[in-house]
Amino acid sequence: MGLKGHLKAGYRRLFGLQRPGKSLVILPDDIFLVSFPKSGNTWTRFLIANLRFPNEPATWSNINRMVPDPTGTPKREFDHMPRPRIIKSHECFDPRYPRVINIVRDPRDVVVSQYHYHQKIRKIEVGSPIEKFVTRFLNGETCPHGSWGQNIATWLYTSEGSPRYLQLRYEDLIADTPRELAKVASFLNLPTSAELLAQAVERSSADRMRQLEKQQDHGLYRNSRKDMTFVRAAGAGGWRKDLPIEQAARIESAWGPLMYRLGYELATRSASEVGEYASMGTASSTPR
Amino acid sequence: MMKRIVAGYKKLFGLNKPGRNLKVFPDDVFIVSYPKSGNTWTRFLIANLVYPDKHPDFANINELVPDPEGVTKRHLEELPRPRYLKSHAYFDHRYPKVIHIVRDPRDVVLSEYYFDIKRNAIPEGFPVDQFVSRFVSGKLNHPYGTWGENTATWHYARGHSSRLLLVTYEALQSDGPHQMSRIAEFLGIPTTSERIAFALEQSSADRMRELEKKQGHLWSSTKRTRQDKPFVRAAKAGGWKKELSPASIAEIESMWGTLMRELGYELVSGGAGTSAVPAPVSTSEEFAGRR
Repeated sequence: MGLKGHLKAGYRRLFGLQRPGKSLVILPDDIFLVSFPKSGNTWTRFLIANLRFPNEPATWSNINRMVPDPTGTPKREFDHMPRPRIIKSHECFDPRYPRVINIVRDPRDVVVSQYHYHQKIRKIEVGSPIEKFVTRFLNGETCPHGSWGQNIATWLYTSEGSPRYLQLRYEDLIADTPRELAKVASFLNLPTSAELLAQAVERSSADRMRQLEKQQDHGLYRNSRKDMTFVRAAGAGGWRKDLPIEQAARIESAWGPLMYRLGYELATRSASEVGEYASMGTASSTPR
Repeated sequence: MMKRIVAGYKKLFGLNKPGRNLKVFPDDVFIVSYPKSGNTWTRFLIANLVYPDKHPDFANINELVPDPEGVTKRHLEELPRPRYLKSHAYFDHRYPKVIHIVRDPRDVVLSEYYFDIKRNAIPEGFPVDQFVSRFVSGKLNHPYGTWGENTATWHYARGHSSRLLLVTYEALQSDGPHQMSRIAEFLGIPTTSERIAFALEQSSADRMRELEKKQGHLWSSTKRTRQDKPFVRAAKAGGWKKELSPASIAEIESMWGTLMRELGYELVSGGAGTSAVPAPVSTSEEFAGRR
């Protein structure tokens, strides 16, 4: 960085305009919404924002303020948020996070979703070979948060079983959104009712999010392809149609045990190949 | 305000300590471990293997094998490549090559106990059982997580990778030459049994104790600590058998039994860790090779 860059950074810092990233000062009542990218994080942000702030329906323009990301929102916003703050993150395990909600998703769907997203944001050519993408995905080269297996493993083996950790599967959220959202509400100690839950679910529906996406030119994806959408299928199991079976096999061969443990049925390997997969048992009760 | 100006000035001249914001190079080698697991010893061993002419000691070890939390950005940028860096960090996916030093948590807690007395964090005679409870429950407020958390992130996220080498403190103690040749091979350093013997000799507990006597007041980790207590203490494995109460042993084993067994540590309190052991996640590099 040259002198000019330093001065600019200094100016931004003085007025709290810099994005805190890893330097975010964590408060003891903070709650982190973590997930590997393309695992339903944005949808969950909408759900939580709509539950927490029923008077202000979440949109693409206010979501970064309601459930901000340290790498995308200025420090100033973090300093003025109502407490407890709910903060979005794609990071691997961080012992400083006081309470964590982790959204996990079948990696075979994650890779398909990321493949489409990278086309939308022009990181890869439209129609670029998916097997090449799967290779990079397995190597953890498609995003700066480790591979899917690494990211998930760091959370699972350190936090599962802790009362300060809530793990939800994207697939369960799809199957019964009010039921899963009620778990979030109780984890967050949010007052709730069937009506409030239904309202939050309705305000975060794929249809509404698609509609909002059309209307709002949200800055995050400004230079992305307009002929492809951010909110795509919003379903579970799409990989069976979109992912060649040989590619699914590669993913299952790399992360079979972890997938099995999360309850994702393997299509190309039997349970006996994967091995009995018990929980970490006692080790998982490490308090956070 | 003044603090910000000082920080800005430091940043401008590369005098800030980068910590987790370190810029990682693709040929970097990281020696990671939970604190009090033989990290300093391994730093000496590797420094003596890689830079025998620099005569590694407590006065220059921070420069030869630095911690990104302990030296300046400028120093880190000026190191010869490949860099050998020491870190207590929990999993960081950016670290390209990792030597993971693991030690029996029942000994780690004792080592930390004595170190905390040395640095006046607890008074002498503080009840060991109470200290163990704090250690197990994460109440020591480590920036690096608990032993179980820290160790699990590396082991389960990278355990199958060909770019992570697991070395236990106990194996280094009982079979130094073999472990050193594993390390040298992992690092791609051509070596001889003489050179390994030399590195082991130069990093022996006796020699490190001697160096500490002369230089302990200078080294970052020991200056401003009680000089009547040594940093290089027993330098042995299994001290917990004599010094930990059965209750403390059971507390540690019931918390981390599964992980301990997987790392090869025998449990003695019974009943713990009876579940099947999960395998580490297989990773990228390995997978790429199988393609």
